[in-house]
Formats: sequence, structure tokens, C-alpha cells
Amino acid sequence: MLVIKDVCKTYGKQTVLNNTSMTVEEGIRVLLGINGCGKSTLLKIITGVADADSGSVQLKGEELLNLPPEKRRIGYVPQHTALFPNMTAYDNILYGLRSKEAKQAAKAHVDELIEMLELGDFLNKRPGQLSGGYKSRVSLARALAPDPNLMLLDEPLSDVDVVMKERLLPEFKKVIHTLGIPAIYVTHDPSEAQQVGDSFCSMVQGNISGHDNAAAAFDFIRQEEIKHLEANLLK
Amino acid sequence: MKNKKPINLVTATFVPLFTLLIIFPTVALVAKVNMSGLNDILADRYFWMSVSNTFIAAIGAALLGLVLAVGFGYFHVFHRNSWFYKIANLFNDLPIALPHTVAGLALLIAFGRNNFGFVSNTGFAFNLFAVMISMFFVSYPLCARAIASGVDQIDQEMISVARTLGDSPVQAYFKVVLPSIGEAVFSGTVLAFSRALSEFAAVIMFGGNLPGKTQSLASYVFTKVEEGETEMAIAASVFCILLSLAIVLFLSIRRRVKNARN
Repeated sequence: MLVIKDVCKTYGKQTVLNNTSMTVEEGIRVLLGINGCGKSTLLKIITGVADADSGSVQLKGEELLNLPPEKRRIGYVPQHTALFPNMTAYDNILYGLRSKEAKQAAKAHVDELIEMLELGDFLNKRPGQLSGGYKSRVSLARALAPDPNLMLLDEPLSDVDVVMKERLLPEFKKVIHTLGIPAIYVTHDPSEAQQVGDSFCSMVQGNISGHDNAAAAFDFIRQEEIKHLEANLLK
Repeated sequence: MKNKKPINLVTATFVPLFTLLIIFPTVALVAKVNMSGLNDILADRYFWMSVSNTFIAAIGAALLGLVLAVGFGYFHVFHRNSWFYKIANLFNDLPIALPHTVAGLALLIAFGRNNFGFVSNTGFAFNLFAVMISMFFVSYPLCARAIASGVDQIDQEMISVARTLGDSPVQAYFKVVLPSIGEAVFSGTVLAFSRALSEFAAVIMFGGNLPGKTQSLASYVFTKVEEGETEMAIAASVFCILLSLAIVLFLSIRRRVKNARN
């Protein structure tokens, strides 16, 4: 279980996260928010590539903020896939398995991932030779291969068209459910959120609130943004 | 019949000025070369020693530059807010803006007999090592800038992903960042090498101009002009031009082959 408590982050004079709190128990928790609301900053703090100013992030009872990113056992699927261009799809998938022994031990798991994501025919191709959909699949497989304790997906399908997205969303959901890894799925698209999510929350001005469904989360964001805009105009 | 396109202001300025200021001096020099000058330098052992000194020192300078530029690239990725990176960034541009006589004098004062008299009578100055350091000092920024610019062009999320997959910053840099910017590393090193080949002022100040020992190709040409051996100076200069052209051609062909493959 992931427990985020009172996390604060400022860049210069701009407060991005202000006592942000959130819990992920199981399944895919969708985090909806408009661009610039602090979603990606929160993910960066959970992965460890950015530091929080204060607060706590605990995964399975262990405080993460004291650990470097490589010790946190978090699978991260960023926007635009960020595949390593000088490696084949297969080498990308195996990247997080550090030793020969680890690769051998995880062989069955990796083969299962390759089968579930239908990557068998593309393993020897480099990222430049893959379509957007297959790049996204490789990126997901790469994050899942080391068997992480938590998955973070930051708008992982932003590079694929609507048709491919419709096809990939159930696939991604099925894979993550099958492996039983809790996940945070960040998006600003309510229909994508509804398709992939098991639970929903919104992020407005760095504050997180829970909702019953993606539409309710989106309505809440819209109302809060209008309130914020009005307050700014009245200043 | 084809309609003639009117010549615009940019073309009317660029073409004649480029022809006059860049192509004309080069052609004028090449046109002056004669067989007697060529035969003289080919038979002059100091010419060949200056060629070998230049190559040895320039290769050493480029490799040393590569090592430091790789280090600078690491700081550029992971320690951009550190005080040392800020200082290094400032000093990186210094050798480009500084008169190279000043660079040579700075090296002479730092590594000459005053501070390193215990090494030899002249400290580290006036030997092939000094020639290499002089070349390195003025050429390293080209390699560092090429690597930093390559780093800026890659998807920074690759580094974040590599970290979450178990890489320390050093591992992520060597396993993900550097292989992704191989072209920038290669071009930066070749540029630094070609800049090192042509260095004169810093070399003569810190390395000296001892024929057969520390004389480089550039200082050989200078010496021959001073001695009134103009034909030899021209022949040696044309050799330098051919060398530079070969490097430029090599880079251009390599880029075309790479583009064709992609």
C-alpha cells in the first residue's frame, strides 16, 4: 500500500504541491488533472528523481523519501515512452534485471509479459522501428519486468491515436490486474480515466480529492478551476 | 526558356563576400605552391617531425579533452545546480574568448619553473607534453559544448526511467546517456582534434618552437616565413589545408552514410 502524506514542493516562489496526501491500496488509481496542476511533480517525487520539501511517502510501510530512486522498486512509464534508442525492444525490457541470474530467474515472468503484450515479433527491433502503440507496450513491459511494488504511469498513451488507445487501455488494465501491482495512472482525459481506472481522484492546485468515477472527478476539476479563475479575476 | 530568378539581398551579399574572404585566400595560397617548395619540405626531417609532433599532441589533447568533456556532461546532467558546475560552465567558454597567447602565458605561469621547477629546469614547459596541454586548453571547450548540447537533446525521462530500473547516476550516464549521444561525442572529439591540430599561439608560448622537439605544423610554417623560406612555408600550409579538408570531408561523408542508413 502507498501512503502519501502532506507532501510539499515549491519551485522558486511557485508552490506546486501543498500538503498533498493520497493513498493507493490496490488496483489502478487514476489521478486526473489539467496540465501544470502538479501530477508529474508528484510522480517524480514518488520515483525519487525529484526531492520533496517536506512530507512522507511510504510504500509497504517503508519510507521512500530517504531512498535513492534505484532502491525504491517502482515501475515508471513516462509520457513519450522514453525507450533507450540504442537498444532493441528486448534489451529495453530486460534493462531493469541487473544480473544474469536475475534475468534467468525472471525469464518466465518476462515471457509472460511479452505474450500478454503481443511483443514476440518485435523483440529485435529498435525503438525507431516501432509504431507508437508498440513503443508504449515495450515501455510498460520494461517497467513491469523487475516486478515492482508500485507502478506509476504518466499519460503513457499520449503518443498513440484514439483507435490505438481504445485497444491498448483494456490491455494495459488486464496486464496490471493480472500481475496484482497497485498503480497510479495519470491522465487529463476523463474517458481514458474511466476505461482504465478502478478508483479515481482529482488534482487541483496541488490538492488531491477522491471521487466515485472519472466524470465526477472531471466535474470537480472544472468547478474548482472556474472558482480559481474567478478569484484571480476579482483580485 | 527558363525565367531567371531575381537575386535577393542575402544572396547578393553572401556569395561575393564568402568567395572573396574565405575561398579566395585559400585558392591564392594553393595556387602559389610549387614543386620546389614541395620537394624541400618532403626532404626536410624537421617538417616530418613537426607533423608527427602535431599528431601526437593533438590526439593526446583530444583524448584528454574527451575525458574532461564526459565529466562535464555528467555534471551537466546531474549537478547543474552545484557551484562547481557553474564555475566549470563559466571557465568552459574562457579559452574560446581568451587570446591564445594569454592562454599560453597562463599555462606557462601555472606549470612553468616557478611552480614546478622541481620537475625540470623549465617545469612542465617546453616539451611535447606542454604542446599537448596547450592544444587541450584551447580545444576542450568544443568537445564539452558538443556533449552538453547532445545531452540537452535527449529525452530527459530516459534518465528517470534508468534510475527507477536500478541505475545509479553514474550507471545511467554511461549506459543510457552517452550511448544515446554517440554522434555528439564523436563529432565533439573530432572537432577538438582538428582545433588542436591548428593551434599556434598557446603552443608557442607554453610548448615553445624547438625544431624536432616541440615544433608543431603551425609553428613550422611560422618559422619558414621568418627564415624567408616562403616556398616551403606555402607548401607546408597547403599540407595543413589538405589535412583540414580531409577531416571535414570525413565528417561530411560519415554524416551522409549515417543519414542514408537511418
